[in-house]
This record gives sequence, C-alpha cells and structure tokens, in this order.
Amino acid sequence: MRDFVVVGLSHRTAPVEVREHLAVAPDRLEEELRAIAANGRLDEALLISTCNRVELYATSANPIEASRIAKESLAKRLPAAADDDVLYQERGVDVVRHVFRVASSLDSLVVGEPQILGQVKEAFDAAKGAGTMGTLLGRCFTQAFATAKRVRRETGIAEGTVSVSSIACELAKKIFGNLEGRRTLLVGAGEMGESAARSLRQTGTNLHVLNRSEERARNLAESCGGRAVPYEQLATELADADVVIASTASPKFILTPELMKSVGRSRRHRPLFIIDIAVPRDVDPRVGSMDNVFVYDVDDLQQVAEENLAVRAREAALAEQIIEEELDAFVSWRRSLELAPTIVALRKRFGQVADEELHRTLPRLEGLSPSDHAVLEAMGRSMVNKLLHQPLTQLKAGAGEPDGALLIEAVRRLFAISEEAPSKKETSTEGGTEAKVTRLATAATGRTGESK
Amino acid sequence: MKAGLFIATAVLYAIACILYLFLLTRGSDKAQRMPGTVFVAALGAHLAFLLLETPSPGELPLSDISQILSVSSFGIGIAFLLASYRFDVTILGAFVVPLSLMLFLASGLGSSYAPVSPRVQSAVLTLHIGANVAGLVAFALAFAAGVAYILQERLLRRRQLSGAFQRLPSLDVLDTMGLRAVLVGFPLLTFGMITGTFWLLRSDGSEFYVSQALGLVAWAIFASVIVLRVAAGWRGRKAALGTMMGFLFTLLVLAGYAVRAAGGSA
Repeated sequence: MRDFVVVGLSHRTAPVEVREHLAVAPDRLEEELRAIAANGRLDEALLISTCNRVELYATSANPIEASRIAKESLAKRLPAAADDDVLYQERGVDVVRHVFRVASSLDSLVVGEPQILGQVKEAFDAAKGAGTMGTLLGRCFTQAFATAKRVRRETGIAEGTVSVSSIACELAKKIFGNLEGRRTLLVGAGEMGESAARSLRQTGTNLHVLNRSEERARNLAESCGGRAVPYEQLATELADADVVIASTASPKFILTPELMKSVGRSRRHRPLFIIDIAVPRDVDPRVGSMDNVFVYDVDDLQQVAEENLAVRAREAALAEQIIEEELDAFVSWRRSLELAPTIVALRKRFGQVADEELHRTLPRLEGLSPSDHAVLEAMGRSMVNKLLHQPLTQLKAGAGEPDGALLIEAVRRLFAISEEAPSKKETSTEGGTEAKVTRLATAATGRTGESK
Repeated sequence: MKAGLFIATAVLYAIACILYLFLLTRGSDKAQRMPGTVFVAALGAHLAFLLLETPSPGELPLSDISQILSVSSFGIGIAFLLASYRFDVTILGAFVVPLSLMLFLASGLGSSYAPVSPRVQSAVLTLHIGANVAGLVAFALAFAAGVAYILQERLLRRRQLSGAFQRLPSLDVLDTMGLRAVLVGFPLLTFGMITGTFWLLRSDGSEFYVSQALGLVAWAIFASVIVLRVAAGWRGRKAALGTMMGFLFTLLVLAGYAVRAAGGSA
C-alpha cells in the first residue's frame, strides 16, 4: 500500500556546515526533484530546502525501499566528514505530523517564525512544476497549509517579536507611528547596534552613522545605505534624530542629561527614542526620565524577547493539539479513500463471477423465454447482494475505527483485489470536487506509474 | 415606552463599555467586532429615544439641560464612530464609551430639570447651545486621546509591553488626534462663548455666574494648550494633561447648569 516517507536533516540534527552541503537553491528545486524522481521508484516527491532544513518527502507503494532510495540520494551529497546519523527518517502518519509541524513553524529554530510557511509553499509549487506532486502529497501539504493558518489564527504562537532588533523597531513604531522619513542616528559601531540600525533602515527611516573612527563610520554607512557624519556633530545630529542607537565602546556615559538638555531646546519637545545597546551603557539613566525621551537598554529589550519566547512556548502546546486534530482528519480521509475503491472492486469481482456463470449456464438451458432470462439474471444479482451485504456493512462500519485498515487489508487479500485499477498519472490536485474524488480514488488503488 | 427605551439604551451602552474595556485589557483578534456592533446598537436605541424626545420634526431636542446632555452623549458616539472608521482608533472606545454612558445617565437624572423658560428662548440661544455641544463632542475625543496617551506612555516607560500597549495606537497618532480635536473644538467653544455672552446681555440676565466662570477657565486652558502646542512645540504628556483638564472644566460647566436647573443655587 502506498505510504509516506521523509528523509532529511535540520538544525536539530546537523550543524550548518553539513546543512549547507545539502541545501538546494530555490531555482534548482524542480531540476533536483526530477533527478531524484527519475532515479528512484518514488510515486511522488517533494523537496524542502531552507537554511535550517533539507527534507525529501515521498510516497511509494514500497515505503521501506523508497525510504532507502531517498536516504541514498541525500546521503551521497553529505560531506565526507559527516555521519549518516545526521539524517532522520520517518514513515507513515509520522510524516504527515511532521509536515504539519514544519509548516506551522513548530519545528523551527525560532518557534513561530513566519518564513517557513512561505518556504514550504515554494517547495510545494516546485514539486507541482516538476510533475512529482500527486494526490497524496498534494492533499497532505494542502492540509498542512490550512493547519498552519489555523495554528496562527487560534494560538499566539507568532505573537510578539523575539529578536532585539525587531523589538526596537516595534517600539519605534509605537512611538512614532509611521517610521517613513524619520531619522535614525547610530552612534558607535557595535555589532548589535548595526543590526538594529539595519532593521530600522528597512522600515523606511533615514540613517546617519556617527563614529569616532570616520573610516568605520563610512564603511558601515555604505553597507547599510546610510550617511556617515563626523563625530563632532553629535549635538546637531541629536537635535535632528528621532531614534538614537547608542552602541559605542566608551566607558563613560555619552548621552548625559546636560547634553540632552542643551539639545532639547532645538528639538522643541519632539519625542526621542534612545536604544542603548552598549555595555557599559552610553546613556545616563537620568536621561530616561526626561519628558518625551524614552530610553531602552539592552537588558530591557532582551527581557521583552524572553517574555515573548515564553509566551510562544506556552502557545506551542496548544498548537500541538490542533495538529493532532488535523492529523486525525487526515487519517480518516486516508482510510475512507482506501475503503471506497475496495468496495467497488469487491462488488465488481462478485458481479463478474455471477455474470460469467450465468452466461455459461444459459446456453445449456432450452426453452427459456426472455422473461425467464431476466428472472435468472435478477437471481444472480440478488445472490451477490445478499452475500456482500454483511461484509460491506462491516467494512463501512470499520472506516472510523482503528482496525479499519486491517479489515480492508484482509478483504483485499482474501478476494485477491490487487492494485489493478486503471493507472493514470496525476500531477495536480486541482479540479472540481467530483473530479478530485475520482482521482483520489485511483490514487489509492492504482500506482501512479513510474514518474518520468 | 420612553422609560423602557432609556433603560435599553443605557444597558447597551454599559455592555459596549465593558466589551471595549475587555478588548483593551485582554482582547484577542476574534472578538474585535463585537464591541463596535453593540455600540452601534446603543446609538440606534439612543437615536430612537431622541426622536421620541423631539418636540416637533426638524427641531433639535436642545430645550433643556437634560436634552443637551443626551444629545452630547449621542454626538460623542457618532463622532467616535466616524473617527474610528477614518483612523485606526477603535480601541479608544474603552475611553469614549464610558463618557457617553455617563452623560446619558446624567441626562436621565434630569427629568426633574426645569426646562429653559420660553421667555429666554431665542435663535441666539440655540446657536450658543449647538456650538457648545459640538465643541464638547470634539473635546471629548481629545480627552479620550489624552487618556490613551497618558496610559500608553506610562506602559512604555514601565516596560509593560504586552496587552494594552500592543492594542493602543502609537503615541504619535494619539498626540495628533488630541491636537486636531482641540483645534476643531476651540473655535466652536469660542463661538459658543460669544453667542452666550451676547444672549445673556440681551436677556438682561446676570445669572449663571459659576458656569460662566468655569467656561472661561476651560476656554483659557484650551487656548494655552493650543498656543503652547503651536508656538512652543509642546507635545505628548503635558499637552495631553492640559487637554484633559480643559475637558473636565467644560464638563463642570454642564454640571453647573444641571445643578442650577435642578433647583440648586449655582
């Protein structure tokens, strides 16, 4: 029976030096998928490649074999030093759970980060483009997207920012509203200050960079799209700035109450947001109690980040519940999928036997009127129906039960119903509901054929 | 009928009030439409109530202090709805709606208020009342923005960045809203004071001393807030506090009238 497999590695199992060897550029995904699908005997294949994970999802009638093939195709690209252990693999329903968790950003390095859903969607589109996407993976990932949206909507997993830079940006927005056209002044050249300045620059503020070493200021300004200013202009720059990021290595306070007061006159009460990222601090604490001046230091920002992370961790537990619910829905869909074609095949098989026997017997009986023929045919049909009534009832009743699959399996073996349904290749899950149902049904019984 | 409608309106206002406060303190994305819907229902009931009050079609129910309070409450609600559609300040309902409710309840106390005697009624009086009610509405919005500003700034300084802080608008939006509302309200108040004085002189009255004085104080406060904001670049906390104080004085003016109409000696 066709089943899911996944083989891959992520930030949980492999360091970045290993991950980068396996990573596939987005524009090469389709090509790569075709190569993998052509090599192995995989019915469907999908490849996710982000900076934190590389995973190959597949379905196959022979999952054990498929999982070996998938593992080989990834393992051969591992650097010589790396062990095969960095690759994990799952089969069956665990794969579906894994997809749901990945798309919902529960398996991410920073839980709740929003990019992963887009990356999974890209992988989905690439698989469609490569023609390696069939009904099973299609349904699985489509439901994963819905699950991710539900998780986002019903839990607070993505609430609150968790990096110091983005928290600084959010605070600035809460003070100034629109940041477009505001001025950020970066004093000093600490690394964290630089990254905060970059984030603010991205929100549309102008950036001025001020450093004791002018060369350093120039380089930094160039790389962030800002303007370097001589250090002597500190006072005038402070007068014009809206956001100040202080990140110098100075052992003394640079922004003193005296300096800020002298600057205050020309600022005319405009609000000023000072982010003090330097350790030791650059901003005298007394500055923070001045009117319309708001000072946050690195501890404040980090504390916010930690609080937000704690909230996310709590919300993740809720998200896991949602995932289990969605997983149940998927599993029962899967089961019903197997049930329908089994019933059809069973009826067909019994009907065939009755028909064959009838046609063999009728020529030997003489003097029968057409109405007698009809009576005999009806008798055959009725016998088939009566014989099948109980087994079919049991099969249908078992659809929602845990052992339903066992029953289906047993029936298939007892009556020699194999994967004999017409094989047709599907590359898309789109189409009307009606068409979808039939395609899904063939997918369950039939093999989708060797992919190109 | 009238009493029933009054109670229904008050209850709807109270529910909207609670919902807005709930939204502010522990709101989630899901319930965001509820408070607004209930508030619109309250305004609908209030409108029906006002129509019952109206002496004759086309005439505004502004003939006594009770009706003035009621119309003010209604006007604040409508102005807030318009403002929250225009700007993203729905959450300010948590401060505006209690104000509406309070004024509406105060209007109900005044079934005993003496109506203004027909002797002193004139077009000038109607202009005076109309302008002042409109001014009051504008100041009420400025007041709500001011309260929100003070709260938001306090949360920012105390580093309480979850909950209400996330849902309140930015300081800049609140400050701008406060300034604009005062700029709209001030000319109305000025016009109201001029027409009021004019009417008072004509009707040879020398009454209403307390209310007059309070009105003058309110006017002076708003005038200084505007001057300091425009000329000296005042912003933020102090401007918000000034605006709130000015609004409280305009409320005192109304209270003065109400006490007097109820037979007190004000």
